[in-house]
Amino acid sequence: MSPEILRIANSPGVWIGAAITVSVVLIQALLYTRLAYQTADKINYPREKCNMAFRTGLITAIGPSIAIFIVMVGMMSVVGGPVTWLRLSVIGAAPTELTAATIGAEARGVAFGSPDYDLLALATSWWTMAINGFGWLIIVSLFTHKLEGLRERLGGGDPKWLAALSGAATLGVFGYLDSGHILAGGGRLIAVIGGAISMVFLLQLTEKIKWLREYTLGIAMLVGMALAIFLGS
Amino acid sequence: MVENKQEFDFTKVWNEPVIRIGWITVLLGSLFAFFPSLYLWITYKVFPPLPMALKAWGLVATAFGAFYVVEPISYYAVLGLSGTYMGFLSGNIGNLRVPCAAMALEVTEAESGTPEAEIAATLGIAGSIITNLIGVTLAAIIGAALIKIFPPVIAEAFKTYTVPAIFGAVFGQFAIRYPKVSIFGLAIPLFFLGVLKFPAWAVIPIAVFGTIGISRLFYNQEKKHSQA
Repeated sequence: MSPEILRIANSPGVWIGAAITVSVVLIQALLYTRLAYQTADKINYPREKCNMAFRTGLITAIGPSIAIFIVMVGMMSVVGGPVTWLRLSVIGAAPTELTAATIGAEARGVAFGSPDYDLLALATSWWTMAINGFGWLIIVSLFTHKLEGLRERLGGGDPKWLAALSGAATLGVFGYLDSGHILAGGGRLIAVIGGAISMVFLLQLTEKIKWLREYTLGIAMLVGMALAIFLGS
Repeated sequence: MVENKQEFDFTKVWNEPVIRIGWITVLLGSLFAFFPSLYLWITYKVFPPLPMALKAWGLVATAFGAFYVVEPISYYAVLGLSGTYMGFLSGNIGNLRVPCAAMALEVTEAESGTPEAEIAATLGIAGSIITNLIGVTLAAIIGAALIKIFPPVIAEAFKTYTVPAIFGAVFGQFAIRYPKVSIFGLAIPLFFLGVLKFPAWAVIPIAVFGTIGISRLFYNQEKKHSQA
């Protein structure tokens, strides 16, 4: 791939376009944070707990964010810094975005990141990632409010069952997400098992050591990774 | 009765603004994401010609189209209202948003399904977005120079093993609470994915709603027991 393509991909105009989009994500998070604090005051939910929840989100996200960061560097070398920044801030999970970018290059008839990857291929990769993200977002934008009705109907006004329903849905989602890694075997299987067992153990431990709770997911992640490195390869 | 009134008020003060903020920001985000493509078009007159653009669109919709619909519906019971708007706009739902929401609930000891839980989960997800944005922004600006601080083994481990380790950890967190249900939560997708080789877009709703169904059976059983 010629440095000229990458120079265009990293030009200031692209940075500005990406910055506008990324700021929408930031503004949304800030608006919801403000709304949550305001609503907490109205229902007498202590501020302390709000701070605790927010801080937990900040801390728990550190580990996964490092992983995203590392994948990101590879993607930047092909589609440029600003668009990678945009794609991994908006809906993007790296595997999906890389697939979409590759499909774009294929539609152009060149291999992703190859010497033939020209400006038109770059434009097609960008277009494909944007139209793909649009698919999810337009559905979420237009139909999410209808889903609350679905949940209420499934919940049937029984708060105890609603809690069990959310738990079951989470187990279903993560059972599915784990399945791919379990079937892959090797280090990834060990990472799943290591993460699960250490989390169970850590949560037992936090019954006594309360301050540890905010760090449990991060620790479980590191334990799962370490076991995968030592036992999996 | 007092409880009911509070519930009613909560829906009004919470759901309405959440939906308003949500649909507008998500729509704007989805449209603004085309800016870099438009910039290339305006400045360099480069845009995929219509047949190529449609071909790329067709290919990508074949790969992901079913997920556009299946994921919001299947993840809703996990993410909730504000969580769905935030989770899909910022992405990384499985490896970031849900784990952070679940930890926020764990730490604040909020009971799932209550207004308090809705607020705690919202703040947990919002916090995770801030960290994530700082991370990707740093990576975009400083970029390749920073990756050198990680030895190759560590970088490789983060790339390959963080995601399965997080998925396992969240599963463990909920398996303690619902041990019986958790067996089915894992067995159902394993069977459909591994044995029957169903495509992923079909396995997601089967796993989620199948597990919810099993949970309902257990719930009814326990209810009958406690009444008897």
